[in-house]
Amino acid sequence: MCPERLLRTVPHEAENPIEKSLKEAFLLLQDQLKPPFPLTIPFPPEYSQLNHAIAFGILAQPHLAKLLWVYSMLIHVSAEKIETLFISLMRQITGGDFSESNLWLSVEVLKILSNNWDWLVEEPIVLSSALYVYLRLLADHFRLGGSFKLEELKRMEIDFCVKALREHFQLSMHIGRDLVRILQDVTYIPEFKDIWKDLLFDPKSFQVSEFSSLSNLYWRRTPSHFFLLRISPQMESQLRFLLTFVKWGSQKRYQTWFVKKHLYWPGSESMISDIVRFICCVHHPSNEIIHSNVISRWAVIGWLLKSCRRNYYEANAKLALFYDWLFFDEKIDNIMNIEPAMLLMVNSVPQYVDITHMLLEFLFLLVDNYDVHHREMLAGSVSASINLLLRKGVVHSLDPLISCNSISPALRERLNSFLPALHLCCHKKVNEDETSIDI
Amino acid sequence: MSCDYYIHMRRAIQLKDIVPAATNTVNTQFILLEKGSIAQDGKEMTCLALVADATASVHFQMWGSECKTFEPGNIIHLADGIFSYHKNNLVLRAGKRGKAEKVGEFTMLFVETPNMSEIRGARDPNNPKKFVQEATVSPHSKIFTPSR
Repeated sequence: MCPERLLRTVPHEAENPIEKSLKEAFLLLQDQLKPPFPLTIPFPPEYSQLNHAIAFGILAQPHLAKLLWVYSMLIHVSAEKIETLFISLMRQITGGDFSESNLWLSVEVLKILSNNWDWLVEEPIVLSSALYVYLRLLADHFRLGGSFKLEELKRMEIDFCVKALREHFQLSMHIGRDLVRILQDVTYIPEFKDIWKDLLFDPKSFQVSEFSSLSNLYWRRTPSHFFLLRISPQMESQLRFLLTFVKWGSQKRYQTWFVKKHLYWPGSESMISDIVRFICCVHHPSNEIIHSNVISRWAVIGWLLKSCRRNYYEANAKLALFYDWLFFDEKIDNIMNIEPAMLLMVNSVPQYVDITHMLLEFLFLLVDNYDVHHREMLAGSVSASINLLLRKGVVHSLDPLISCNSISPALRERLNSFLPALHLCCHKKVNEDETSIDI
Repeated sequence: MSCDYYIHMRRAIQLKDIVPAATNTVNTQFILLEKGSIAQDGKEMTCLALVADATASVHFQMWGSECKTFEPGNIIHLADGIFSYHKNNLVLRAGKRGKAEKVGEFTMLFVETPNMSEIRGARDPNNPKKFVQEATVSPHSKIFTPSR
């Protein structure tokens, strides 16, 4: 529901039923909403209508500013269960969007949060979510040249995130491994460079007993609700619709509309990595849908990767695709998070083998360079991912890749080197069947 | 939910069931797939669009402010519309007594064939009020060629 739309009739657009009922309540009771006020107490059934009338009265004023004021007052009076209000507000701040209204919303929400730290520390979900959101926004904002207003916003964002990380690291850790991913996008900002150094070389400085090494974060799977934060509710419902109902062959028009609505302005590409994380980690189709004619997640991700016009965003999108591969642990991670990357690589052969080539190259680059101190660990996780995907039959074999001449021999050999454990397992299994050898 | 919505949806028909008639009795819902160019017809702006629902597609003639308001991806409710010949084209339109309103976007399934504007019919000799489909001129729109 958009507060600005109330009272304004837009030609050719049907009235939203919620707006209509609020307006009706207001029109019915508006005489009671100004002095002299009735001295009688309304009966409970009348509360709802009175609340609707008051809500309409508040919301019909210009505009979102009033709504934000209401939210800050709710904090002030310690109202219950308002964390969802802030989460939905933050989801309305669009990534990569430098329009005045979007930046204004960014500032105003941050002001409320920054002025209410006492409340914030009692709301771990809001604190960790806000840290996630503003680290992501900082990565976008820092690339924009300096209007004075933006400098002020960037300063506020830096102060907020630094305070959350330095003084409330235990709550910040709730984000899990994706905290490392999004922090790396801002390490060229001096304050975050220092934080990064301390994370690597002085973890004790964060004063959290469970945190003695960066790898403690790697082993924490990021809860899926974080990946909703950078996707607006409308984007979410359109993506879910696409992946639940639209059949193979019919996706082209929907993709065009999606781009036209959400990915058309310069900077909007920034959201592609967030969309990839959402598709991999939040939207898990049922078996029924997977085996139906509905378009698959890997195909939508392939389209998104191709939509990237600049290398920086494409690299981030590929990192988002492979991120859970790097730290995969069967005990805590979900195979549905790693499935799209494998299917995209295998199904792109032979028609789109350049995609497979590009993805394999990137995967090995990650394993070797993402964290040189933990190279073996990363390689082990990638191996575990591939093994699990084969064991569970997500793909039956990697032979289509290993025997594909259009992929460089070096890449094929490297891929093969991740398989020996599996081959060994298969070999053992065959022996087991034949002679019941006790392994 | 408002009363109007329920009344509309109770009377709504699917695009595959529309037949040409001179009456404004078509209540239906569709998603706009493609817009043609905006032209001038006397004093009014006009624009032809390809629209569809889960059963069929059809050409929708937009008039006046409709031309600038409706965009591809829009889901539209049409109340009291007309499906008839207009300048040799069989088109669906709001007409003077009908109303087209945007009710949403994106989240509606559609098919592009058959295209009801490319089906030729004739009056049933036994029942002049009834139309009988005679021939399909084209399974898809000949004006908006299917996207590959």
